[in-house]
Amino acid sequence: MKPQSNKLTGKDLINVGIYSAIYFVIVFLIAMLGMVPVLYPMLVVFCPIVGGIPFMLFLTKVRKPGMIFIMSIIMGVMMLVTGMGIYPLIVSVFSGLISELVFRKGNYRSAGMAVLTNGTFSLWVWACFLLLFLNRDSFMASRAESIGQDYVTALDKLTPNWLCPVLLAVCFICGVLGGLLGKKMLHKHFEKAGIA
Amino acid sequence: MNGLFQANIADRGILLDPRTKLFALLTIIVFVLGGMGTLAPEWLNVLISITPLVFLCSAKQWGKALGFGAVYAAADLFLIYGVNSVNGAGKYLLIMLCTLIVRILPGMIMGAYLFASTTVSEFIAAMHRMHMPVQLTIPMSVMFRFFPTVLEEFFSINSAMKMRDIRFGGKNADKMIEYRIVPLLICSARIGSELSAAALTRGLSTGTRRTNICRIGFRMPDLIVFAIMLCPYLLLILKKAGAVSW
Repeated sequence: MKPQSNKLTGKDLINVGIYSAIYFVIVFLIAMLGMVPVLYPMLVVFCPIVGGIPFMLFLTKVRKPGMIFIMSIIMGVMMLVTGMGIYPLIVSVFSGLISELVFRKGNYRSAGMAVLTNGTFSLWVWACFLLLFLNRDSFMASRAESIGQDYVTALDKLTPNWLCPVLLAVCFICGVLGGLLGKKMLHKHFEKAGIA
Repeated sequence: MNGLFQANIADRGILLDPRTKLFALLTIIVFVLGGMGTLAPEWLNVLISITPLVFLCSAKQWGKALGFGAVYAAADLFLIYGVNSVNGAGKYLLIMLCTLIVRILPGMIMGAYLFASTTVSEFIAAMHRMHMPVQLTIPMSVMFRFFPTVLEEFFSINSAMKMRDIRFGGKNADKMIEYRIVPLLICSARIGSELSAAALTRGLSTGTRRTNICRIGFRMPDLIVFAIMLCPYLLLILKKAGAVSW
């Protein structure tokens, strides 16, 4: 067999589109849980874990550099248009690149690297929460004027700054767990069905 | 979710170029959501927040327009006039909820309108004019084409699983996720490979130039929307230069 070219073909791009759609729909349905305010921060747990199943299946189709990066950017753009702000897009550019490098290290074959890749790829979920932390000062200052200082202190207590790196770590760990779950599912169902 | 990129062409009111809609969306996100609305004076935020309302009305989507208008107006009026009239623990929750609505809802509505009023061909044509790389536009257009299919499959699987009592509070609640996602993935992957074969026969690939019959371009309504949406940027520049303040 002659060595495969590393250039993305139309088929690869269509695959990216198809799996982005599946991934986004599944994550979106899970994110509906976030409508309950108490569960909202828990999305960094649910989304990477459940999203791991479609993502691991997607990784079985990835044999060339670029596909993970494109999917990551698409997720960032989708978050932008669904009103989560610009940060998910910024983070997804970096996390997409890191995921790409991680999966490349496993030669686009290694299952262990694929699990790690889901961990780094999932970081865009965390980025959706950045809005709460990064705009903090200007937001707090404007609210202190218009609504009152006691409101600001209450909000400050609800979302302490140290929560931000904690959420990041939780997101990564859950991404790895999701990768393991996805790997198990691949083995249990998809290999049998002949689509992995 | 019916209607993503399934535009009802006969009945969509003001015909805007997809690029105009994208710019409007970006402006709303930057000024209404970004910096939590501190980048522009509040009246301007309100003005750009309610432009999607005009679009919805012109497209005769009265239900959506009324729902959005009512919720937005209620939340904004509360923040302006009602804050001091309530007390107690619920106050902060209410304020937070209203702030979220005022900041996030306009962007979501604009995004929904963008998708509901643009066809895939127009989207590709606009992206091509903006010199977006084909590596990004092909996956995105495939994705939008594929959304309705995935959702349709999901709801069918959902009802099948309900019949087997695999649901919240059902006997087999532990299998909820696995028994829904695995069939969804398997049938979507099958449909996807058929779709990709179909798209390839129509010449969707890299390295080739495709033709497109969609007529997109800037007309009068686009200019008006652009004029409105440029205001906050201008004011921001003027403020940075020290010429105005609020």
